Amino acid sequence: MIPAYLIHLLILICIYLILAISLQLSVGFTGLLNLGHIAFYAIGAYTSALLALNGFPFWFCFLSAGILAMIFGFLLSLPTNKLKGDYLALATMGFSFVVYAVLLNWTSLTRGPLGLPGIPKPKIFGISFSDNFSFLILVAIIAIISYLIIKRITISPFGKVLEAIRDNELIVRVLGKNTFKMKSLALMVSSFFAGIAGSLYAHYITFIDPSSFTLLQLIPVLSIVIIGGLASLEGTILATIILVLLPEPLRFIGFPSSIVGPARQILYALLLLLILIYKPKGFYGRVSL
Amino acid sequence: MFGQLLINGLITGAIYALVSSGFSLIYSVCKFVHFAHGVVVTLSGYFLYFLFLKLGFNFWFSVIFSIIFVSLLGFLIDKIIYKELRKRKASNTILLIASVALLIFFESLILILFGADVKTISYIKISKGLEIFNAIITPLQIIIIIVSIILLILLFLFIKKTKLGKAMRAVADNKDVAEVIGISAEKVYSWSFIIGSVIAGIAGILVGLEQNLDPTMGTSLMIKGFTAAIIGGVDSVPGAILGSFLLGLIENFSTWFLPSSYRDVMVFIILLIFLLFRPQGILGVKRW
Repeated sequence: MIPAYLIHLLILICIYLILAISLQLSVGFTGLLNLGHIAFYAIGAYTSALLALNGFPFWFCFLSAGILAMIFGFLLSLPTNKLKGDYLALATMGFSFVVYAVLLNWTSLTRGPLGLPGIPKPKIFGISFSDNFSFLILVAIIAIISYLIIKRITISPFGKVLEAIRDNELIVRVLGKNTFKMKSLALMVSSFFAGIAGSLYAHYITFIDPSSFTLLQLIPVLSIVIIGGLASLEGTILATIILVLLPEPLRFIGFPSSIVGPARQILYALLLLLILIYKPKGFYGRVSL
Repeated sequence: MFGQLLINGLITGAIYALVSSGFSLIYSVCKFVHFAHGVVVTLSGYFLYFLFLKLGFNFWFSVIFSIIFVSLLGFLIDKIIYKELRKRKASNTILLIASVALLIFFESLILILFGADVKTISYIKISKGLEIFNAIITPLQIIIIIVSIILLILLFLFIKKTKLGKAMRAVADNKDVAEVIGISAEKVYSWSFIIGSVIAGIAGILVGLEQNLDPTMGTSLMIKGFTAAIIGGVDSVPGAILGSFLLGLIENFSTWFLPSSYRDVMVFIILLIFLLFRPQGILGVKRW
């Protein structure tokens, strides 16, 4: 039997993998520096949690989480479609702050800083995934399916057009493609997967509050994408495993938990800086930012 | 009510102006978003707290030392991180991500060193506020407004009149041409970081005296600072100052018809509106 601690880490790896490959689709493949990815994760987590607490079945909560995140992805793509580089980064980051502020302040719906406790573990067609091992199987299946779908998208003609948009949007437009629509679609797919990752997180931890969805949570995901290498899904898998496991030794050194959290952030931030300076393309990156 | 909101708006605006003017000075000269500017503000407040309350130094000595410390920090951030990246021809997107990483790095460091609880520096005793136009304003708040106005005028004169200020404008305008006539761009970058950080440091001290210190205060000030800079025109220091006061007023007047906890949401909606319709800001020049 696999120890419980290892199962926990594997579940985290699967959730982070879905989150990272979906960010990879928008940042690496389409060239949209989306710093608001955590907002879609938050929308997914809250949608799923609120529906589940109101008695809806898991599959419904799960899909709604993805679809609502996707709708917000579409809405965000409308004002930001023309923006590039810094401005896009700041606008998407601004979006994630709006979502955070709404989660914190719409207390009648989200209970604000108190968070939502007691989110039920998933149950699909009578099969309960309440223990961690069965949950791991569920997350792993969803992660593999997500990976295959995104892999399929990136090798499809649509994926090629996205990469062309990243490399030179003007030329793609000259060739008669509607780049706004393409970028919008890419962001929607990306936010759909962020939404389902949020749903899985909510049902796994069974408690969510707005503090799980801040800029701090973006850093590990962004680090995974950059360290794995832009536009490389294999690199993303490798980086996800490394980055989830890397801060774990901190727990064993015997630091109090109030220090482990910030120490982990310092580790990620330093790693990100070092990679940007010394190996800006990451492990398998095919393009640079 | 109107007078009080007006005065609160001006105080908020004055603090935003100190943050955003340094930020936009660095942006216009170096052409990238220095997001870690926010944490420079926080560090200055915490350094003052450490020197004055923990080590028991004289207040003015602590203030001056905190400002020197953060200007050195700004200088070192540029030298150690950004210069390395520039040498490797990193795009400004990479510099932006690096600055976010720096922000998280220092924020977490503060969290480890000082803990998550808020700190107060109560040097200037909260005395009874004065009444002007049916509104109450404390002496400290008057100091904040006066200090920031003096600083902003000095900054403006510095950019317009001094040789270094002119060199900054030259580099901001066209780096290659500036280098041809013998201006060292790297030196100008360093100076813009030092000056920007000094102003941020003073902002941090004023915020520390007026409100409380908490590890994430720099991030929220930075978000407001860049929103203000975008409203006014991100590569124009006067624009950033105008934007800051506008933002301070909008934020405070929005509490008239919205619950005050939604102030931040209001700010971001304004940010999105500007990014959508006038990304160059009120005073900015359209470049793309």
